[in-house]
Formats: sequence, C-alpha cells, structure tokens
Amino acid sequence: MNVTLEMTETALGNAGVRLSVSGDINIHTAMQLRKQLKTLLDPKHEEVRVDLSGVDFMDSAGIATLVEGLQWSQDSGGRFTLSGLTDNVRDIFTLAKLDTVFDIREDHASDA
Amino acid sequence: MHASPVYELSCTLNSGCDCMRTLRYMVEAMSMRAGLNTIQTNRMLVAVDELFANISKHGYHGREGMIEMRADLQDHRLRFEFRDYAPPIADRHELRGREVDDVQPGGIGLRLIQAIMDEIHHSTMDDGNHWVLIKHLSEGDECDT
Repeated sequence: MNVTLEMTETALGNAGVRLSVSGDINIHTAMQLRKQLKTLLDPKHEEVRVDLSGVDFMDSAGIATLVEGLQWSQDSGGRFTLSGLTDNVRDIFTLAKLDTVFDIREDHASDA
Repeated sequence: MHASPVYELSCTLNSGCDCMRTLRYMVEAMSMRAGLNTIQTNRMLVAVDELFANISKHGYHGREGMIEMRADLQDHRLRFEFRDYAPPIADRHELRGREVDDVQPGGIGLRLIQAIMDEIHHSTMDDGNHWVLIKHLSEGDECDT
C-alpha cells in the first residue's frame, strides 16, 4: 500500500496543467495533494485537470481536498476538472453525491 | 433451526498509525467470505477507514490511542465493531454528516458511512465509545463476484 502519492505535472494545451496522481488518497496522503494543488491554482492556469487514473482508493480526506481545489479554482475564475476516475473512485463520488458537482472528463493522460 | 456459523476477525490498532494495510486485509477477508464484488468491498473499506479516521481525529485528536476492531459475518449480515478509549461523545450532533447540497470539505466521511452501511450504532461507555457498522447482505450481494 502506498503511503506517498506520485504526482506528475504536464502542460495541457493553452494555459492549462494536468496533475496526474498515483496512489491511495486518504487522511495520510491528502495533504500532499493539497500542497501540490495549491501551487497549481494560480491565475496563470486557466484549467487545472487532476488525472485520477492511478488512484484506486480515495476516502473523504481526498474528496475534501478536491472540493477545496474546486473552491479555490472558482474563486480565481479558473476551471477545475477531474479525469480518469477508476470504478472505485467514481462510485465513492456518486455515494457522496458529488459526481455532479465536479466537471468530470472521460479522457486520460494519454489524450491530448 | 440452525444458525449460520460465525466467521470473525479481530485486532487491536493504534489510532496514531497508518493502519490502512491492516484494515484492508480484514475488510477484504470478510468481504471475500461474504462474496462481495470489488465495488462493494471498496465501499466496506471506505466505511471502515472513515470510522477509524474519525475516531483518530475527533476522538483521540491525533494522539495515540487504542482502537479494538472486530468484524464478523453471520446470518447475511456483515458487522464491524469498534471500541475506543477516547472521551465519550455525548453530543449526537457531532455524529451528523453534512446535508447533501452543502458542498464543503468537511462532513463527507459521515455522509459516506451513512450511504454505505445499513445500520450505524454508537454508544458511550464509562471509558470510551462503542461503534457498530452493519451491512445487510442480499442474495444478490453474496452471489456477485
């Protein structure tokens, strides 16, 4: 079981950035994601897309961090999107009734 | 009339540790025994993880403390029981999750537990709290692979 998250940033078209995350996002690792997101949620990035295709487990600490990211992004006028949700993670978003709150894309990191 | 045999596991955990590996082992073992599929097993793991995290964070306030966990499967019922020695929670408002339309970072854990489990019981003891999460298994649940 991963106790650290692997996170990689790549440019996403015009003024966007994709953050690809791998590992379990729980109370022990969510702070790493929060710190990384905070550095990306800058007005120079019109879109921050979090690719979760490498995340098979997420609990409320992870969801809360993404809700914070969404709120930060809305405050700065940017777009905050999620992509690559695994079945387990998508199911938890649905149970929390947050699947309609986020802009969830079906694409993966390999897509342009 | 014969009662179905009880299958159970128990362990004692330190609230200050990352016990995810142990929790996952126990939940996966019980879920496999119950015949739950991958999504259902993940839901059980999330509910157990959330309760453990709540006890660690709100009961022990991040300090080390003992949490006894017991899981059993009997009569189409999967049950997870936790015993902590943190200050008893007397105010039931502390146990409530947020309303569905209240999108805030906090309160999501309890909302998930409520969405996943069929029964959630909490009782205060002289020296702590006793928690029980119960999932009733339908025949469909138990036939899934």
